[in-house]
Amino acid sequence: MSAQSMTNPVPVFDAYRVVSGLFDEMFDLERRPRPGCARVVADLLARDPGRLAELRARADGMFLRMGVTFNVYGMEEGSEKIFPFDPIPRVIDAATWAHLEAGLTQRVRALNAFIQDVYGAGEILKDGVVPRDLVLGCPQYLRAAVGLTPPHGTFVTVAGIDLVRGADGRFYVLEDNVRTPSGVSYVIQNRVVMTRLLPDLVRASGVRSVENYPADLLESLCELAPGGKSRPKVALLTPGIYNSAFFEHVFLSHQMGIELVEGHDLVCVDHKVFMKTVHGLEQIDVLYRRIDDDFLDPVVFRSDSILGVAGITAAIRAGNVSVANGFGTGIADDKAIFAYTPAIVRYYLNEEPLLPIVETHVLSDPDVRRMVLRDLDRFVVKPTNASGGYGVIIGPKATYRQLIEAREGIERDPSHFIAQPVVQLSVHPTLLGEGGGADIYAPRHVDLRPFVLLGKRPRVLPGGLTRVALREGSLIVNSSQGGGSKDTWVLER
Amino acid sequence: MLRRIADSLFWAARYLERAEWRARLVSVNHNLLIEGPAPAGNPWSSMLAISGDQELFEQHYEDVDERSVLTFFVLDERNPSSIRSCIDAARANARSLRHRISSELWLELNTLHLDAKQWTVARLGTSEVFDFFSQLQERFYRIAGVMNGTLPRGVGFDFLGLGILLERAENVTRLLDIKYHYLLPRVEDVGGPIDLLQWTAVLRSASALEAYRMKYGNLIRTESVVEMLLFDSTFPRSARYCVDRLETALRRVAQAAPEPAPGAVELASDGLAGLLASRSASEVISSGLHDFLIDVQEECERISSAVFDQYLRFE
Repeated sequence: MSAQSMTNPVPVFDAYRVVSGLFDEMFDLERRPRPGCARVVADLLARDPGRLAELRARADGMFLRMGVTFNVYGMEEGSEKIFPFDPIPRVIDAATWAHLEAGLTQRVRALNAFIQDVYGAGEILKDGVVPRDLVLGCPQYLRAAVGLTPPHGTFVTVAGIDLVRGADGRFYVLEDNVRTPSGVSYVIQNRVVMTRLLPDLVRASGVRSVENYPADLLESLCELAPGGKSRPKVALLTPGIYNSAFFEHVFLSHQMGIELVEGHDLVCVDHKVFMKTVHGLEQIDVLYRRIDDDFLDPVVFRSDSILGVAGITAAIRAGNVSVANGFGTGIADDKAIFAYTPAIVRYYLNEEPLLPIVETHVLSDPDVRRMVLRDLDRFVVKPTNASGGYGVIIGPKATYRQLIEAREGIERDPSHFIAQPVVQLSVHPTLLGEGGGADIYAPRHVDLRPFVLLGKRPRVLPGGLTRVALREGSLIVNSSQGGGSKDTWVLER
Repeated sequence: MLRRIADSLFWAARYLERAEWRARLVSVNHNLLIEGPAPAGNPWSSMLAISGDQELFEQHYEDVDERSVLTFFVLDERNPSSIRSCIDAARANARSLRHRISSELWLELNTLHLDAKQWTVARLGTSEVFDFFSQLQERFYRIAGVMNGTLPRGVGFDFLGLGILLERAENVTRLLDIKYHYLLPRVEDVGGPIDLLQWTAVLRSASALEAYRMKYGNLIRTESVVEMLLFDSTFPRSARYCVDRLETALRRVAQAAPEPAPGAVELASDGLAGLLASRSASEVISSGLHDFLIDVQEECERISSAVFDQYLRFE
């Protein structure tokens, strides 16, 4: 590759517009490749017309045959869809990643300390840093978790932190996911597919590997074994094949070589958890559960749950089994408490947060509420108790009727909502299709969900899941709302 | 090994083996029609009669002919025993235990399932159907090869084996039954050219023709065919061979228990082993082959339910 092609705008790219006012992940305003992106641009975007569309078709075939699919709720049973995949990778240079990694580690350590404190001594509440009413009134606050002391104090074994990049090019935290975050299997499978499609480019680019994640996760889980047991029995608890993330549950248990269990495979006897095997009962030490707190124990929580295990709460409290993530972690990713997370980082670590959060307004404060309601069409309003993009109103795109309804909802129950300014998510060249034998690509909004493991020491998966909103102008990247994904390349240097 | 997983392994294997046998039975019937002289009566009616699905067929089709019966046996999702339905059922069972099988095996099963979704009636036309069945057979061999080449020989492998072997033992008896009681209803044809042709086809559909010739030479005799398919301890599709392997698998499963004990399952398989050991081909032919075949099928069912009670039942 000549020095010239590294710096000049690429001719084949004439149709691509760099939009001012948005941060383009791959090009600056002069359409020069950003740091680390030159090779991908030269090898992938400035190549034979139609090549990208061909790559995507091959990738789709691989995903379908490998059964890398998710289930869409509200459709007929067994409707498995592949997660739309974009063949243009998202590149993060080493320096940017070093900053993100430090910021993510800091954040997850603080969130874990917060959960430990809230269910323990409650210092942060006594000091008034986070309002006591907000915490105790939060639907994610679990009385059953009060006084729990998991091994190493680890409540958050796995965290998925959603980051967005603003028009200023800085990364902001949009939300935390510290209950049962999903998506990591796509990170790993996207890489498997990319490595098959473009082995030379992946190798030449010096992309950091993601394949160690399952081994790291297993190690983190084993560290949770009660009494420091050396070869603990670990199992993954899934809601079953109709869950949208079932593929991920299968994938992770397969990669870790642990049993994949459903609620009815388990039984509690004498405050211990056992699985029903062909040769009788076998005790489980650590349960990586991918079902929500509410469904985990029909004795303590939802009595109509058939997904959980009756009596597991007592087994956890007796110290006979560990669950990951721990009980009650939802208190730390509540959307209202999110506004206090910078204070939480300062409080526990005595450090300035390395990653800023998207400005977040708690609507229970009357002055703040008035300010937001005055300009509702300029804010994103989110219900505090939903995830997956459900119930989100994006002011500038909302209809008049939606805005009226949002206003009524806020006035009826202000503590149920938060408001954030509309973040102009960064964009990335994304393949739309093929026209006249040539690839057509255009900027589309992206976010990033890196994954952090907290064992005895924190580990951050290099990269994470880059989700892309495939519809023009759409800011919603969730797979349940028509988003796709890209392979995320963190460069070694 | 979880009970639920063992159950899914067992059924995934059974459905897969069932799909393969369905393909073998349908294709042998089809070949007979092409090669042989026109048989008495409607041969597709006999196929339907022995399948036990005649009533279901009549609900959905008017004419009993090659096209409708092939469609019904191969493609029709309303028929739970069609090849496509069996493949779907095998894959659905495998889907919940993907983490316990190799990704290579999953890939083969999933690809077969995806291809089966694309099958159309056009693939079953007289000039295409031969290719269709031979390609399908290759897929089944490939899956068997991947199973053998990638799966560790633990309890899980034995539950797969139990499913395959029970289904195979039952199906070889069905194959003999078709020939003996439905394809050639007229006594005066016994030993005639049609009879010979049909026995040859039966052997071929069990992939046993070449093994037969090596053992018995070119002369095709009913007694030798029965001996080959029921009592031969070396041929991998004979009932006897399946039962021997079945006993071994059951013993291994029992020995994997923390406290091994002779279980109901081993006793149940003794019945079938005894049945096959105590009789010869000429005896069962003279005392009534059909009844003997039914006895074997019933013993298979007994083992199946004993396995369920002992290892798979979910309390």
